[in-house]
Amino acid sequence: MSETRTDRPQDLPLAAAIGFLRSLRKALESGAELPVALSHAAGGLPRQARTRVERMSDRLGGDYAEDEWGFDEEFAETAFPFFEFMYDRWWRVQVEGIQHVPGHGRALLVANHAGVVPWDATMIGVAILRHHPLPRYARFLVLNWAFDLPWASVFLRKVGGVPASHHNAQRLLEQENLVAVFPEGVKGAGKDWNQRYRLQRFGRGGYIELALRTGSPIVPVAVVGSEEIYPKLGENRLLARITGAPYFPVTPTFPWLGPLGGVPLPSKWRIEFCEPIPTEHYGPERAQDQRLVLELSERVQETIQQKLYENLVKRGSTFV
Amino acid sequence: MAGRRVLITGVSTKLGAQLALRLEADPDVDKLFGMDLVPPTAPLTRMEFIQADIREPDVMSILPETGAEVVVHNNILRRPRVGMSPQAAHDINVIGTLQLLTACEHTGSIEAIVVRGSAGIYGSEPAAPQFFREDMAMLYASRTRFQRDVSEIETYFENFARRRPHVTCTMLRYQPAIGTSLNTQVTRYLAMPVLPTFLGYDPRLQFVHEIDGLEALVAAIKNPVRGAVNVASRGTIGLTRMVRMAHKPNVPLPPQLFGGAVQAGTRFGLDRLSDDFKRLLRYGRGVDLARLENEVGFVPRYTTVEAVAEYIRASRGEPVPAEARGPSESAVV
Repeated sequence: MSETRTDRPQDLPLAAAIGFLRSLRKALESGAELPVALSHAAGGLPRQARTRVERMSDRLGGDYAEDEWGFDEEFAETAFPFFEFMYDRWWRVQVEGIQHVPGHGRALLVANHAGVVPWDATMIGVAILRHHPLPRYARFLVLNWAFDLPWASVFLRKVGGVPASHHNAQRLLEQENLVAVFPEGVKGAGKDWNQRYRLQRFGRGGYIELALRTGSPIVPVAVVGSEEIYPKLGENRLLARITGAPYFPVTPTFPWLGPLGGVPLPSKWRIEFCEPIPTEHYGPERAQDQRLVLELSERVQETIQQKLYENLVKRGSTFV
Repeated sequence: MAGRRVLITGVSTKLGAQLALRLEADPDVDKLFGMDLVPPTAPLTRMEFIQADIREPDVMSILPETGAEVVVHNNILRRPRVGMSPQAAHDINVIGTLQLLTACEHTGSIEAIVVRGSAGIYGSEPAAPQFFREDMAMLYASRTRFQRDVSEIETYFENFARRRPHVTCTMLRYQPAIGTSLNTQVTRYLAMPVLPTFLGYDPRLQFVHEIDGLEALVAAIKNPVRGAVNVASRGTIGLTRMVRMAHKPNVPLPPQLFGGAVQAGTRFGLDRLSDDFKRLLRYGRGVDLARLENEVGFVPRYTTVEAVAEYIRASRGEPVPAEARGPSESAVV
């Protein structure tokens, strides 16, 4: 599969202004005088603004849809331009193997993970929405700790995050969703800089049991770039205990710059979706088969590790 | 139908009276007994009212005389009534249940016990499974008095079920109820002039519409299953969305100030919120309905969003569209 890089027009918050310029140009090209063209284009501007204002007041009246998990598609759409900016400009993400993501039905995406902020999950989501012929939202499991944080929990739920629990993952899969999991968990999130791209132990293979029980194909995903955005040099146990966090990272910018330290570094990213591993033919009862579980887990881990090294080489330099 | 002689405790509560009316009209029910401290105000004709305090040992002599085959335990308080001490509520819930069970042990005719328990046993936790299944009751330590009471009640029932295997014990775990004819923590919360919320939190809430709550109870009486069963209307609603639908001013408070502010607000007519309800407003709770739908055979008619929308429309005096109201007579299987 060739690399996919898109130069699709941006749907930034400037959409209204771009729409204005576009209709102005169209009117001029069709031979209208400048004042006529201007008034024509401006006619579109208030209408857009008006519908936006209307929509916003509807939302303030409680008229919006969330599913039973709190996923709010409309909200996710409004947040999309920001994620797209991070995707295109900040991290210049390149994607391979998007055809390995099933276009419908349940599937489990398994990826490497670093950092507490689930940037990797959101970028995987943007990649699927942007490049897949049948775009769909991916749901992702987030470290439980995040769900006790004000605002973060609200935001994560609205864009498709759920607390990491195999009960949640199982229900999502049974509802035929695309679910992204990060089996490295806290161990992955707390990786030191010099350990980047070395996969930590994949738990006890709980995610494999999950895939077997629900008959979901497993799509290993290698994400290169995400492990350099917060270079963790050390950690502070005392602050971790005070804040209740699983660990308290110390990076060149955090906590020294305060909230600014939360700005991720602009590394170059590559996301590769690997060939899916079908599990349906084993049957749900094999979820108890510890040997099969460990075997499959090993296979997934090796695939991701190998693809990580390949993509590190393909990427070249980290930041430019 | 498991039995023809039915006894209901807490029959003078709204739901108890509704259930009695429903069972009076049911040809399968030969004899109906209702037990409470005060007689019900509902126009009940066939039911025999027994004035008794469930906390007193009298119950032990009364119950065997009725020859009841099905006992519906509807006398578990979600929150102390006005002017009632927490200790009294605890006594009614725990001691009352213990007395009732002891009485049941001495009543040979009993075939099934159906309890209107509470989903409060699961608690409200930030990273809990979004939908609790019945086997997840003990995932977290009990944090509130009510949660401890409910766990204790459930333990008594489990022990009873083990000692008397021929009696089918159904523990219905109800989510908070909502409905125009009810007075519950949810309806009292929505009736407040300003709605306090936790700053930065938007929990997923799940309620049971009064009709779903009643019909689930009827379905469980007709088809009792062993063990716990969750009862709620389908789906969840975000607190923020509910507050916006209610068109009421919303006061987001930091968690550190919430308890104190709500306490101070009671002087200005705000409702006192129970510890459980406060945790619910911060972290929310959902339950899995597979067992209710597949084993008891009752599919809730409402979604939580519909139940909330209907309640808010009705409480503002707006007409409720006919299709939003569930049919009053049901086709329970």
